[in-house]
Amino acid sequence: MKQHPFCTDCEQIPQVMDLPIAESVKQQWAELETRRNFLGRSGKVLGWAALASLMGERGLRSEPTATSTTAQHKTSSAGEFKPPPFAPKAKRAIYLFMSGGPPQMDLFDYKPGLPALYNKDLPDSVRGGQQLTGMSSGQARFPIAPSHWQFKRRGKTGTWISELLPYTGQIVDDLTIIKSTNTDAINHEPAIMLMNTGNMNAGKPCLGSWLSYGLGSMNDNLPTFMVLQTKTNPKQNNQPVSSRLWSSGYLSSEYAGVGLRSDGDPVLYLSDPNGVDHVVRRNMLDAVEAINRQTFAELGDPETNSRIAEYEMAFRMQTSVPELVDLSKEPQSTWDLYGPDAREPGTFAHNCLLARRMAERGVRFTQIYKRGWDVHVNVTGILPILCQETDRGCYALVTDLKRRGLLDDTLVVWAGEFGRTVYSQGGLTADNYGRDHHPRCFTSWMAGGGVRAGITYGETDDYCYNVVKDPVPVRDFNATILHCFGFDHNKFTYQSQGLDQKLTGTTPASVVQGLLA
Amino acid sequence: MFVNRLASSAARCIPKNKETRAAWITSLLLSIGLLLLPHVFKLDGRQHANWQQFLGRFHPLAVHLPIGFLVLLPLLEIGGAFRFALRETAGFVLGLALAACLGSIALGYLLAYGSGDSGAGVTRHMWGGITLSIGVLICVLARPSWSSGEVPHVYPILLTAVLLTLVWTAHQGGSLTHGTDYLTEYMPAPLKRWTKSHVSGVDASNAGSFYARHIHPVFDANCVACHGESKTRGGLRLDSYDWLMKGGKDGAVIVDGDPAKSLLLQRITLPVNDNHYMPAEGKPPLEPEEIAWIRAWIQQGASPSIANLDGISIHEEHVAEPLQPVGDYSALLPEIHQIDGAQGVKIVPVSSKPSDGLILNTVDIAAHFDDAQLAKIQEFAPYIVEADLARTAVTDASFDTLGKFTHLRALDLAGTAVTGAGLTKLAGLTQLTYLNLSGTKVTSAAVAPLGSMKNLHHLYLFNSPAEPASAMNAMQPIARNVQ
Repeated sequence: MKQHPFCTDCEQIPQVMDLPIAESVKQQWAELETRRNFLGRSGKVLGWAALASLMGERGLRSEPTATSTTAQHKTSSAGEFKPPPFAPKAKRAIYLFMSGGPPQMDLFDYKPGLPALYNKDLPDSVRGGQQLTGMSSGQARFPIAPSHWQFKRRGKTGTWISELLPYTGQIVDDLTIIKSTNTDAINHEPAIMLMNTGNMNAGKPCLGSWLSYGLGSMNDNLPTFMVLQTKTNPKQNNQPVSSRLWSSGYLSSEYAGVGLRSDGDPVLYLSDPNGVDHVVRRNMLDAVEAINRQTFAELGDPETNSRIAEYEMAFRMQTSVPELVDLSKEPQSTWDLYGPDAREPGTFAHNCLLARRMAERGVRFTQIYKRGWDVHVNVTGILPILCQETDRGCYALVTDLKRRGLLDDTLVVWAGEFGRTVYSQGGLTADNYGRDHHPRCFTSWMAGGGVRAGITYGETDDYCYNVVKDPVPVRDFNATILHCFGFDHNKFTYQSQGLDQKLTGTTPASVVQGLLA
Repeated sequence: MFVNRLASSAARCIPKNKETRAAWITSLLLSIGLLLLPHVFKLDGRQHANWQQFLGRFHPLAVHLPIGFLVLLPLLEIGGAFRFALRETAGFVLGLALAACLGSIALGYLLAYGSGDSGAGVTRHMWGGITLSIGVLICVLARPSWSSGEVPHVYPILLTAVLLTLVWTAHQGGSLTHGTDYLTEYMPAPLKRWTKSHVSGVDASNAGSFYARHIHPVFDANCVACHGESKTRGGLRLDSYDWLMKGGKDGAVIVDGDPAKSLLLQRITLPVNDNHYMPAEGKPPLEPEEIAWIRAWIQQGASPSIANLDGISIHEEHVAEPLQPVGDYSALLPEIHQIDGAQGVKIVPVSSKPSDGLILNTVDIAAHFDDAQLAKIQEFAPYIVEADLARTAVTDASFDTLGKFTHLRALDLAGTAVTGAGLTKLAGLTQLTYLNLSGTKVTSAAVAPLGSMKNLHHLYLFNSPAEPASAMNAMQPIARNVQ
């Protein structure tokens, strides 16, 4: 105990060694505190770094004792393929993220009883004191707005699908439709964070980072986790999508998603600047690496190693990315399938085609963001545009993966961050309405590796307001995805800030067995 | 020699005084009574008085008493060699065991007789119990001459035989209560291969029919525990089509084309709290869709062979055959690392369980990976379950090498220069379920022989000359079952 310099009434401040914390943490603290230990560690790290550069990374890796002691100092752990605890059904995933919250009752969740309730008030018993957003909390009444569109039975399974999704209707037999997905958040940012990272607060790793961390790369020349943005349509209400959503949080930053831009250079600063050729670039990178290794030896910050790995990856991407985005060799059948939109970079269909090419090249996790689903007003005006932009891409992607034999081990996921209310936000007219955020139920779908094709899972009530059967909260949704990749979500943890952190959080989650093949 | 000694020692057990002779006669009469019991009160599959069932249901509880006593007995006898007091106790426990045996038999018989149980398992359990009781009875008679040291061998041998009978009988009883596969259900796969496979009512004559796929599995999961070979309540067996149509003590349970008159459907659609409701004894009721299938199946003729029913569409999954475990490659890991380091390929485990095998991943160096490099990997061929050779430089020459990948489950040759000559060399890969030949030059003539590969369920021919014409239309997925 020593006295705190600024404290007059409290005589002493607590010391780490006296705190009621685990011995192992105290041990770590003690090690950090000792100058001799710090210097000793630095020396060892420098030694290993030198050895690594002499032997090449693989030389080190084949020596199990060396890897175990240097695991945290290795330059690139993302480059290493790591086996999951049990045999996975899926090797890679393509996540089609419908940012903004698609209206489930206009697309998938058919409610034939609603037209009879047109403009009637949503019963309080159904709403059950549900929190309202700032957008509709001032409304005097909550008039029910039935879907403007007809539904049809599609596929051999006879699944009801809105006429807005004629193409998705053709693949319903391959889909696992989940009508009972539900979330805890009612506003975009917390909801989209929860969906992607399992936590409403920023700073946690997202699903793609967890998978990169757990499985490593299949292809050394491309990032393990890539993010594609769809060009925004100014007519739509585009909620911002930030890099927090593909952040690696407390995991090493090499597991963060790498974004491809929709126009110009797919990756900024990837190509050599004018007047700099490949050899110069290589020499420059070698020199930077040497300096970085020195920094690492001095400070021991693992982020330095991530930086080295990122430079190396960027160098390899100079050849692999142009090949990836070059669609000139795609056969005519591709364009017949994806439609004319796919030729234009930045469209959803184009991104779907890129996602298929990434799947072929062993990218583990591709996430496509499509913004604009936040239809607070003018649903009849905007929703058809949104569907027209995305419907064919979804269909083409699943069909293309299937005909090329990739759907067997690729998991395709389609989801937004929440659903929309059955009652109209703002005025309800005979042919138009708006829909507010709704966390209690929304529809998502999966297809391919590990999930049961051709089923509809979960049910909502007649108002499409509450889940009445087989609810799938976000944490269960994510636990199920991890299961498809061979991970037990309870055992797949990373120690940070004294907690065994996991994607599904601290509320008990479970794998939804009914979704699995 | 030994047999003679045993016979003479057995002779010495013969009673000499009046009291023991009386004991022997009583025992003899008791044994005869036990042996005659099943012949006097035949297990005819009919239910009898309720009080019998009421008492009988205490059998599963009471039956643990004789088990406990009999397991304790040898321990006391052995301990008696060191502490005499234990030996005296053993005599008392043996007496208790006999009483408990007779009590359990009485309750057990009331259970079977009262609730109308019959069947091979019930019969085995019953005779086991009777044999066991008679064995214990003889033990009681033989023990005095053993403890006095006159006859040293007979009693220990008898006791051993009694204990073995006990294990067998208890197992029979357990199988009746929990089902025959209770013990083996979660047995590790390698052990499972040694046990008898589950008998199912599906045979070659009705394989693939609606009955085999949807009706029989419902009975199998919900009914055959009581209406099967080992326990045949009410004389009704549902473990095969023939037994089902034969019906039970109350006659046929299925009337072709008339669900309303079919006793089976009546019983499963009664209110849950009805005395005659099935599945009985608080077992979970059938799912509404399962009842719908049974109703539709009866309605449309209750045929054993009809493949599909009008108005019933069920999404079916292909049931994967159990995967053959791969040998442990751990010892080869240094060599594997060496070769994948040298070539730039990745040979990686499917999971952290070595028996799940290895994946060969060539995507990093696809353009440079050729037949010669594949040949260098063949040393590890038996451990590789997945080979991703898409867009590599391998040719038809590699089919020779690939034929040695005996545990291969998935082979991706998409976008390679193979033409299909030599595809027949894959015929020996019995585990192969996935073969991707998209974007190759294979012809339909070349892939035709693959039809004989029974497990090959996913064959992809997109963008190749072998692609079926109908599939040129993008709406038609190419994935198809070659069978």
